[in-house]
Amino acid sequence: MNIIFVYLKKYRVAAIAALLMMLIELSVELAQPYLISKIIDSGIQQRDTGVVWLWGGVLAGSAVIAFGAGVLSSFFAAHASQGFAFDLREKLYKRVQSFTYAVFSRFETSSLITRLTQDVTQLQDTIFMGLRFMTRVPLVVLGSVLMALIVHVRLGLMLAVTLPLLIVFLLWMLKRSSALFRSVQQRLDDVNGSIQENLTGIRLIRIFVRMGHEISRFAARSGELMQATVAALRLTETTAPLIMLIVNIVILAVLWYGRIEISTGDATLGQTVAVINYSLRTIGAMSALSGIMATFSRARASAGRVEEVMAADAAGSEWTGSPEHAHAKTAPVDPNGRMRAEKVKPIRGKVEFRKVGFSYPGSGLAVLEDVSFTVHPGQRVAILGATGSGKSSLVGLIPRLYEQSAGEILVDDIPVAGMDIARLRGAIGYVPQEVLLFSGTVRDNIAWGDEHATQAQIERAAAAAQIHDTVAELPLGYDTLLGQRGVNLSGGQKQRLSIARALVRRPPILILDDSTSALDAVTEGRLLDELQQLSCTTFLITQKISSSVSADLILLLDEGRLIASGTHPELMASSPLYRAICESQDREAWDHVQSIN
Amino acid sequence: MFKALIEPFRHPKLGLGLGEARGLGAANSRKPKAKARDSRAALKRIWSYLAKRKAKLTLVLLMVMFSSGLSLLGPYLISRAVDHYLEGSGGRPWLLFLITLALVYLLNALTSWLQNIWMIEIAQETVLRMRADLFTHLHRLPISFFNRRQQGEIMSRLTNDIENISSTLNSSAIQIFSSVLTLVGTVGVMLWLSPLLTLLTFIVVPLMTLGMRWITRRTGPLFKERQKNMGELNGFIEETLSGQRIIKAFSQEERVIAGFRERNNRIMLSGYWAQSISGFIPKLMNGLNNLSFAIVAGVGGLLAIRGIVTVGVIIAFVEYTRQFTRPLNDLANQWNTLLSAIAGAERVFEVLDEPTEAKDEGAAVSLERVNGAVTFTDVSFSYDGENETLHGISFEAKPGEMIALVGPTGAGKTTLIGLLSRFYDPDKGRITLDGKDLTKVKRESLRSHMAFVLQDTFLFRGTIRDNIRYGKLDASDEEVEAAARLAGAHPFIMRLHGGYERMLSVGGGGISQGQKQLLAIARAILADPSMLVLDEATSSIDTVTEIKIQEGLRTLMKGRTSFVIAHRLGTVRAADRILVLRGGRLEQQGTHDELLRQGGLYSDLVRGAAKEQGEA
Repeated sequence: MNIIFVYLKKYRVAAIAALLMMLIELSVELAQPYLISKIIDSGIQQRDTGVVWLWGGVLAGSAVIAFGAGVLSSFFAAHASQGFAFDLREKLYKRVQSFTYAVFSRFETSSLITRLTQDVTQLQDTIFMGLRFMTRVPLVVLGSVLMALIVHVRLGLMLAVTLPLLIVFLLWMLKRSSALFRSVQQRLDDVNGSIQENLTGIRLIRIFVRMGHEISRFAARSGELMQATVAALRLTETTAPLIMLIVNIVILAVLWYGRIEISTGDATLGQTVAVINYSLRTIGAMSALSGIMATFSRARASAGRVEEVMAADAAGSEWTGSPEHAHAKTAPVDPNGRMRAEKVKPIRGKVEFRKVGFSYPGSGLAVLEDVSFTVHPGQRVAILGATGSGKSSLVGLIPRLYEQSAGEILVDDIPVAGMDIARLRGAIGYVPQEVLLFSGTVRDNIAWGDEHATQAQIERAAAAAQIHDTVAELPLGYDTLLGQRGVNLSGGQKQRLSIARALVRRPPILILDDSTSALDAVTEGRLLDELQQLSCTTFLITQKISSSVSADLILLLDEGRLIASGTHPELMASSPLYRAICESQDREAWDHVQSIN
Repeated sequence: MFKALIEPFRHPKLGLGLGEARGLGAANSRKPKAKARDSRAALKRIWSYLAKRKAKLTLVLLMVMFSSGLSLLGPYLISRAVDHYLEGSGGRPWLLFLITLALVYLLNALTSWLQNIWMIEIAQETVLRMRADLFTHLHRLPISFFNRRQQGEIMSRLTNDIENISSTLNSSAIQIFSSVLTLVGTVGVMLWLSPLLTLLTFIVVPLMTLGMRWITRRTGPLFKERQKNMGELNGFIEETLSGQRIIKAFSQEERVIAGFRERNNRIMLSGYWAQSISGFIPKLMNGLNNLSFAIVAGVGGLLAIRGIVTVGVIIAFVEYTRQFTRPLNDLANQWNTLLSAIAGAERVFEVLDEPTEAKDEGAAVSLERVNGAVTFTDVSFSYDGENETLHGISFEAKPGEMIALVGPTGAGKTTLIGLLSRFYDPDKGRITLDGKDLTKVKRESLRSHMAFVLQDTFLFRGTIRDNIRYGKLDASDEEVEAAARLAGAHPFIMRLHGGYERMLSVGGGGISQGQKQLLAIARAILADPSMLVLDEATSSIDTVTEIKIQEGLRTLMKGRTSFVIAHRLGTVRAADRILVLRGGRLEQQGTHDELLRQGGLYSDLVRGAAKEQGEA
């Protein structure tokens, strides 16, 4: 919950103003029963019309003042809460963007999205409500008790003594219910997660005829959710009637004792009525409590989730030294987010690994061990190896998506660990294994690699990636809209588009992480020819010997170790595994058959 | 009349769901009516769910009536006390009075407690049933439904809309009922106590109506604007977080942060005005409440001096005016919650009304055993009813044969498999299995004899063991491991942290694409089907691994009719029959040798390919 105050601090003037306005409103309302008792005792009982007119007028006038204050408080509260949400959202998003990829991967994407959207909105609403209602409730209660004491000490005491009881009861309830609501939330997440999973895997479930299995699993989960919900709500719904009952007993006592006091002349009718009125107001305020309690515990959960993200960076730094966070502050970036060219010496593309080892954080298993090799600018490296041999991890280390745990990686003879990360990544064109396109047009997606690219540059990149002709055939050409994740293109087309996105940057270093798998051999061949002409250092993760034959350097990985490296003829001579791969693969370029159109 | 009274108080924020739904139909003047009928239909269906607990529901309604009545009785009794007992003397009736009041209070607390507790149970049971129905229905919908819709959109119906209904049923439903009762009761008692004072109190009602109208007219568009901005921001967040790897690798953080700031700013501006102005609503209610308080106290005081009303009546009125505006306020809020829940319910029922995967015909049979003889006779199919994806396909697969499907992306290979597994049924022509028309075979029965290794491997959240066991739920640990060994997945699993007990997140994060496919193959092996479909199953597996699993796959395919969409000539050459597809047509079919001898497309291609390879 601390986070609320930290981020609200900037808007304290507005927040305090909103609270002040609320206090004005409140004092008007608290004065009402007192004024009524005046009307009864000095007006009606004494048959004095002047007094009635006077206090009646005061009541009406203060109502107008209270209304004015209320309207103003709305503006102040909106200003504070909107500003708060803006700042928090921005800070949170920046924080997420500044995460190292390793830290980012620790969170599920969907949960980060929820934190950025729903949780922030929840906190914002809580502040808006808090500045206008929530703080008001305890004040109404306290003020009512205080006023009751002022009106008549002994009668007021009746109300005052129950107050500690009510407070203790409420605190206990708050604690219990927030624990219960946490479990509700957890179960709800389970249920929703299970729905998500089923939607994604619906085809598989059909195929394996596991509908019944899934339905009964879901039934169990939603049954648990129901039980948790009923338990939590049952508790909160008990609060209001119980408080009402307690205060009502106070009213009974006031009536009983008030009558005695009136008969002895120690109290007036108006005073007794006023104390009863204050008791009723206490009930009114407290009846809003269960709602506030629910809001409060939700807000607390949201604040916890947001704080977790804010704190994650520090936790991640144990492992990474959080270089990207530092970069976010220091990177030379102009308003367009582009690096200033004059500050950066162009990277030529020499890449060297020296005894590099790597394991994912939190797992002791070495993914890479003792890998060393050197690639000169413009060379092509083919990386081969069995599934899980560490190919993707190896290329992921070059743009520092992850940091190696041993050894050194150098680009242009400079250790990447000391390099400005924006400069390093600016020199790398990366095509990941799983295609990720953004919503927008084809052009947007290619230009995503370089937002200043001209149409000619975009088309050149598309042509090199062998997608230009396909795009040209689309009804709107480069202006064709892609759905989220490019739903209306085939896998191979999407792959080529993401290659074009990398090529448009004319990167000195290009990484293709098995990104030609959906391409047929002809297309792939043409693509490789184009890459040759671009003369960038290329890392090509592949499974096809056909694309490794012409490589300047072949790296053969097995279980995280570099078991052979060299050119095709060299490896044919020296590596039995490489020979086995070659023999197993058909050299007849079978894939050509698949490419006919 | 009731609706007209409430309408101006509606808080625009919550009603938005419906507002938008209406907005869509705005072009057609008849639409709103249709919409109202839909709402009624939705209400009726919610009722049919609730009606399963009719007895308990009746009890709840009874409790609501009691508690509303009792809460009216409280202030009245106090006014009696003020007028008759407080200043008087005497013993018995006073004690009796106090006991009566105590009883009223006790019963009031009890009835309102019971109504809430019972309603929660009814509501949650109802929601449970709705969830279960929806979920079950989802698994009966044709696959084409999921192709048509965005996953996020279906997801929101299953989660947000249901949640909405749940919270509404929990409280809003009975609150509306009790608010109405309290409102009517309060006005009745007030009129009975003093018609004059009642009339004076009601002076504020037109003021309230006017004020509300002023406010809602402004907030409606503002909230719509804010909602639009919110949607944009959320979309932006979702996309940039899903694409985080790319953003990092391309070093585009600053750029997306700038894009984020722009959207965040828009949301703040629209949110500021929407929130400020809608924040007037409670303030207006409060202000007018205070005003009516002043009227009751002032004018009531004057009337009391003339002896027209008693002090007790004033006291009662002070309380009743508060009781009068509170339910109005509640009603306004609850009404919105209710409307948005109904809108949500409509969206939920819309899914429930989607026709299920064409019911298995009455005559459809379950297959005990399948030999795996498949024939396609002149089969045509189109997804949209216009452009044929498959056209006049005919071929025959004998039991145990291996059929290779060959052709460029978009040739219709995956569609053909979809027809075979009855995700879709052909528009024209006929597919038979062991001589039976496929449409006469129960889908579930058909699929239980097939196993698939699909292009997109899907893994569930759970252990690796659970994921493999999905192929056969009652498989022993040994069977699971044997299947994994056969698939060649065992070595990599053993090297993973946790081995078979390693937890996988949704989509199988943490292991590579190829490893996912190995698991999928193990799963299929475990399922031990009569027919097997491998849809580019080995595309992401490198040769080394493939060598290792080839043996397993061969074992798997032995004696089973297999349909393989493969990239490698080695696989294709081993096929008993090769189907060469192009543009939805079956260009050629036969064995590798036959096709080569035949000449034509296939042989040209193979020869051409070899030649080109030689030149390179």
